[in-house]
Amino acid sequence: MIKIQKEDFNSDKEIHNIKKLHINVGAVTSFIGYVRDNNNNQNVQSINLEVYKAMAYKQLEKIISEANSKWKLIDSLIIHRYGNLTVNSKIVLVSCFSKHRKDSFESCNYIMDYLKKDAPFWKNEFYINKNEWL
Amino acid sequence: MKIKYFAWIKDITNFNEELLNSNEIKNLDNLKMYIISKYPDLKKHLDQQILRFAVNQEYIVENIDLNKDDEIAVFPPVSGG
Repeated sequence: MIKIQKEDFNSDKEIHNIKKLHINVGAVTSFIGYVRDNNNNQNVQSINLEVYKAMAYKQLEKIISEANSKWKLIDSLIIHRYGNLTVNSKIVLVSCFSKHRKDSFESCNYIMDYLKKDAPFWKNEFYINKNEWL
Repeated sequence: MKIKYFAWIKDITNFNEELLNSNEIKNLDNLKMYIISKYPDLKKHLDQQILRFAVNQEYIVENIDLNKDDEIAVFPPVSGG
């Protein structure tokens, strides 16, 4: 499942909603990315995340499909936020559901790597007196 | 065709998107020439291979033919996650 949304989300609830559909899942690996307070030696106040939504869905679907061809995944979840996000806010959740831990660990890492490389999101970082595109 | 601009590219073009109705733009290379002549500040980014191009939401590196219904996106390297 892929969700691209402005709103915050409850990670436990989102993971549970998928887990409860699959009694054969024995392993779930999740990654959560947050807005942190310092980047490149500058104090970050907030970020504005821009997205090309139609392409982001397409690219994330492609990444999930590639992960499915490499590992035995029972299900997967990507939630990526956009808009204004302050320090401490969640940016992204990736969860991979499988029978055994190796498939979930490795596929989660793979999905995050390719999400960062291919998914069309852009961060505009806001400091005290200026802002910068990353 | 529709051209969409993202992130700091928009600061150069001053548009999120524009509609093009030109018979002279038949492929992606033609379009690249068009945008750098309209927005000369984009030229150095094109020359340095910083600009990314997508046609109908797929990354395109090579020169391909374009159709009038295509949606082309121009953007810098991504920074999500």
